[in-house]
Amino acid sequence: MKIDGDVLTIDLNLSMDEIVTLEEFIRPRIEYIERIETEDGSVLSSSALLSLLVSIKKTRPQIEIPFLEKEQTISFSYGTVHWTYHD
Amino acid sequence: MISQEELRAIFIEEATEIVEKLDVDIIRFEENSNDFELLNEIFRGVHTLKGNSNAFGFTRLGEFVHHFEDLLDYYRSTKERIEANNLELFVESVDVVKEVMECELNSIKELPRSYSVCLEKIKKLLDAKKNKNPSLIQSESREVLNNLALEFDELPLFPDEDTLEQSIKIHQAMQTEALNLYKIVLTLDGDCYKRGFDHFIFLKILGEQAKSLESFFSMKNVQTIEDFQSTQNSIDKVDIVALTPLVYGEVEEIFEFLFDHEYKITPIQAPPPPQKETEKEAETLFKSASNNNTEIVSNTNINAPKSTIRIDTYKVDELFDSVGELVIAQNFIAQNREIRSIENETINRTIEVLSKITKKIQDRVMSLRMVAIKDTFEKMKRVVRDTSKKTGKEIHLIIQGEDTEIDKTMIDSLSDPLIHIIRNAIDHGLESCGDERVSIGKSAEGTLTLRAFHKSGNIVISVSDDGRGINKERVFKKAIERGIVNEGENLTDSQIFALIMQPGFSTAEAISDLSGRGVGLDVVKTSIEKLRGKIEIESKEGEGTTFSIILPLTLAIIDGMLVQVGNETYIIPTLCVVESFRPEKEIVHIVKGKGEFVTLRKECIPIVRLSEVFNLDIAKSEPWENILVCVETDSGRIAIMIDELLGRQQVVIKTLGKSLSKVKEISGGAILGNGDIALILNVDALRPQSETSHVRD
Repeated sequence: MKIDGDVLTIDLNLSMDEIVTLEEFIRPRIEYIERIETEDGSVLSSSALLSLLVSIKKTRPQIEIPFLEKEQTISFSYGTVHWTYHD
Repeated sequence: MISQEELRAIFIEEATEIVEKLDVDIIRFEENSNDFELLNEIFRGVHTLKGNSNAFGFTRLGEFVHHFEDLLDYYRSTKERIEANNLELFVESVDVVKEVMECELNSIKELPRSYSVCLEKIKKLLDAKKNKNPSLIQSESREVLNNLALEFDELPLFPDEDTLEQSIKIHQAMQTEALNLYKIVLTLDGDCYKRGFDHFIFLKILGEQAKSLESFFSMKNVQTIEDFQSTQNSIDKVDIVALTPLVYGEVEEIFEFLFDHEYKITPIQAPPPPQKETEKEAETLFKSASNNNTEIVSNTNINAPKSTIRIDTYKVDELFDSVGELVIAQNFIAQNREIRSIENETINRTIEVLSKITKKIQDRVMSLRMVAIKDTFEKMKRVVRDTSKKTGKEIHLIIQGEDTEIDKTMIDSLSDPLIHIIRNAIDHGLESCGDERVSIGKSAEGTLTLRAFHKSGNIVISVSDDGRGINKERVFKKAIERGIVNEGENLTDSQIFALIMQPGFSTAEAISDLSGRGVGLDVVKTSIEKLRGKIEIESKEGEGTTFSIILPLTLAIIDGMLVQVGNETYIIPTLCVVESFRPEKEIVHIVKGKGEFVTLRKECIPIVRLSEVFNLDIAKSEPWENILVCVETDSGRIAIMIDELLGRQQVVIKTLGKSLSKVKEISGGAILGNGDIALILNVDALRPQSETSHVRD
C-alpha cells in the first residue's frame, strides 16, 4: 500500500489481515483520497477486498477506482469475474 | 485455463478484427446514413471494444471509445438524421481508434494529436445534442444499457440474470462430450471469512481444471463504509458458470465444507439438436463468446451444426508442409518402376486408393488456408472514398467476385499493392474533373471496378477504370528520356504499358501525395512478384485501363512444366508459359552480337539455351533439332531451348540453401515423384543481357 498525495496505490492480492488493515487506514481518510490505483500485474484474489472497494465507491462515488470501474477482471487463476457496484 | 499472454493475444486479434470491421462499416454507413441497423452494428463493435480495452488496462483507448460509443448511442436512440460534417467525425473517430490502438499495443506514451482534437469534437457535439434533448441525459441508465446489450445479443455492461443466461448459452455452445457445464450459485453466510472461506478460493479450485470459468458477483448489499466490515461477507450471491471435465460428484466435493444452503450446483445440459435456422444464432454465440474473452475450444459436439476454431497459422503451415511431403512420397510410390511392376491387384488398388486420399487431403488442407477476398475489397471502399475526397473526383465503385477465395498469406500482402493501384487509377487514370468527362460523352462520375475471379488455375484480381487510358506514345517517349528503353526499339503494347512499372518512371505532370512519385508501381510489381504473381496492363486510350494481378492459388505448390536438358530436369512455372514448339530452320536467325532469335508470328524472340545458362556439358545442337518453350518475362517473350518436354505436374516448392539462392536464374527446387531433384527456373532472369536494355536491375 502506498499513498502519494491523494492517490492511494494498493496491491490486489491481499490477505484478510491486510484487507482489515487497509479498511482501517481508509476509514478515517476517505474524504481525502481522490483515487485508488492498483499495482501493475496484481490479481484480485479476495471477495472481501472487492467488497471493500465497492463500499468505498458507494460512500464517495467521486473517488476514482479505475479497477472497480471496469466491472470485470480476467485472470489465469479465477477466470472472468464480473461485478456491479451500483445500487 | 488460458494464460494472460494468450488472453492478450486474443484481445489483439479480436480488437483488430473489430477495428477492421469498423473501418468498413463506417464507410458503408456513410453511403447510407439512414441504415440504423448498420449503426447498431457499429455501436456493438465500439461497445465490445470499450469493454475489452478497459479489461486489459488500455484505458486511453477505453476512454476514447467510451465517448464515441455515447455519440453513436445518441444517434441510434434518437434516429436523428446525421449531418454530413458529423458523419465525417465518425470516420475520423475510427481513424483515431486505429491510431490509439497502435499506441496502446506498442506502449507508446505519446498519443497522436488527433486523439484530443477528435475527443473534444465528440464531447462538444454530444453536449450540444444533449442540451437540445435534456431527457436523454437521464436515459443513460443501467436499464438502457442492459437493453442495448440485449438488443445486440451480447453481454451487457451490468451483469444481471440476462447476462448469466447469455453466459450459459455461450458455454452451452462450447460444450463437448468431455466438457460438462455447471451453474453454481454461492450464497455464503456473513461469517464465511471467519470460517476461512472466500468466494475466490472456490473460483481458484474450479479454475484449476475448468476450460472456461465466468462468475457474476452481486454487490447490491454492500454497505457504505460506516456500516461496512471487511470481515463480514456482504455479497449476497455469486453466480458461477464453469465448463469443466469434472463430473458432478467431483464438483460437489469442492464445496463439501460449506453448509448445504450456501451453494447450489446445477448441471446444464447441452442444447437440443439445432435446426438449420439456428445456424446463424450459433455463430453469433461463438462470436459473442469470443468477444467476451472466453476461450474458444474445439467443438466436437455433434449437436452443434457449424462451429469454428481458431488455429495458429503456424500449425496450418506445418500441416501444409507435411502434406507436401506426403504428396512427394505418394508420387514416389506411384511412379516407382519397381513398385509399378508388382503384379498384385490388391497392392495396385491400394496404391490407387492412396493416391485418391492424398489428393483429397491435399485439397482439404489447401482449402484451410483459403479465405474470401471480400474483407480486402471492403477495405478498398475506404481507400476509394478517401482518394475521391482528396482528388475531388466523383467515383462509382463496383465490386465483383468478392467471394473468390485466395491464400491467407497472399491476402495479407495484397492490400498495399491494391491500395496503390486504386489510388493511381483515381489520381491518374480518371479525367481531372466531371466536366472533362462530360465533354467527351462520359458520365460525370468515374467508374472503378474491382474484380476477382479464377482463370486457368490462377486467381486474377483486376482494377479497371473508365478514364483516359494510357497514352502509349507518351509512355514510350518518357521511357526513352529516362533511359529505360532505346529509341527505335520495337515494343508490343503490353511491353509499353509494362514500362510504367519500371523504377523511376512517372508521367504525372504534377506530383501529388497520392501517387506520381515514380516509386509506386515498381514497388507494387515487386510485391506481386514476391507472391510469385505478375501484373498485366490493358489500356485503350479514351476508354480506360485495367490492371490485372495474376496470382497462383497457393504459395506452397506450383503448377510446373517439367523439361529435360541433357540429364537434368528443370521446372518452368506454367503461369508464364505461352506455348512450346519445334521451330522450322527457316524461322531461326542469328543476329551478330545479339545471339539467336526465332520469328514467331512476326515477333522476333530471343532463344535462351539452358545448357549455356547452367554450363551443362552436352553436345551443341541446333534449335530446329530441339524444342522451344516460349515464356512471358518481365521484359518480353523468350524461347527456352530444351531437349524434351516431360509433362505438367504440381510440385511442392522447396527453398534452396544459401549458396544456391544466389543463383538468380533459379527460384527454388522440388522433389519429383521418382525422388530426383529439379530446379524451378526464374524466367525473368534468363533473358540474354544484350536483350535486356530496357530492364533495370
